[in-house]
Amino acid sequence: MHKENNYIVFIIKLKWQSVIAAIAITMAFLFMPMEVHAHGVNINYTSNVEVEIIATYDSGTPMAGAQVAVYAPDDPTTPWLTGICDGEGRFSFTPDTARPGIWDVQVRLAGHGGMIHIPVGGDTTTADGQGGFSHLQIGIMSACVIWGSIGTALYFSKRRKT
Amino acid sequence: MHIPDGILPLSVTGSGYAATALTTWYSIRKIRQKEDPRQDIPKASLLTAAFFVASWIHIPVPPTSVHLVLNGLLGALLGYYAFPAILIGLFFQAIMFGHGGLTTLGVNAMIMGLPALIAHHIFRLRKWRNGDSQRKTGAFGFLSGVVATGISVAMFVIILLTNLPAEINVVSERAAIYALAIAHIPVIFIEGTVTALVTMFIRKVRSGILDGV
Repeated sequence: MHKENNYIVFIIKLKWQSVIAAIAITMAFLFMPMEVHAHGVNINYTSNVEVEIIATYDSGTPMAGAQVAVYAPDDPTTPWLTGICDGEGRFSFTPDTARPGIWDVQVRLAGHGGMIHIPVGGDTTTADGQGGFSHLQIGIMSACVIWGSIGTALYFSKRRKT
Repeated sequence: MHIPDGILPLSVTGSGYAATALTTWYSIRKIRQKEDPRQDIPKASLLTAAFFVASWIHIPVPPTSVHLVLNGLLGALLGYYAFPAILIGLFFQAIMFGHGGLTTLGVNAMIMGLPALIAHHIFRLRKWRNGDSQRKTGAFGFLSGVVATGISVAMFVIILLTNLPAEINVVSERAAIYALAIAHIPVIFIEGTVTALVTMFIRKVRSGILDGV
């Protein structure tokens, strides 16, 4: 029994030692240099979508040096941004996502050019870009027009003979 | 040389349509004065197809590429039929190739159609004094092609230079327009040569085609 009491006293002493050790470690952490807290990370984000356009003639030649005018959805008359295409006809810009809608980008070089409509933000899911026709489509349509012309010629030449 | 949509102000495109309407009316009036107005429709129809396709055939002239216009040839061979033929050809070019635009159809018709009518009157000069000959047909054919394309380029440049918007870099755009005009100088002479060769060939194999013009 006496032996058991000695054992309990030893455990109590040990616990007190543990408590003191825990306080010492906490104090040590508290008074550690503040740099340790710099490992905390704080990340904010802003969603900026960069738009890149590539302007070429229908022959495939890039519109190098073409002038670009970007129009915001709420002001279609005054350019929001102007710039110049690089040697490969490329031009990049980051539209203001706070102004959602259809952004118009006009490209112009020596009186030639066109406009593309780019949806930005919101629920503007319809892209109305300048897709154009494929070479096959153009070929078929051209053949139709040419055949129409030949047909007209044949019709009127026959009428003349009769 | 096709001015697309969105380049010219509304006042200019509207004036272009008005001038085109007037010229089309005058051309049709002149066609109806002919003994048989339908006689030349097959010829006009086939040349409309040639004009339509010509803008799709690119000739590389660094730093850009150009295409034949053939308005001098149409003027020489068709006379007053040339203007409606060019108008129809331009309409199909605009909706199918994206060459030019529907709002600028009137302006483009004047740029290419009016010089065609001038080419017609130049080509008629071959009959002046002692009638035409193979050599005179070639010479006036060449002149028709050169003058028609030259006037078209000049009209294209003048219309663009007088309507440059304030928001673009005017100096840079002006330099680009001049560069494009210079790139068309070889085209002017190619057009003259093509017109001369075609008219001489037609005169040789079927001179009746040239009787009415």
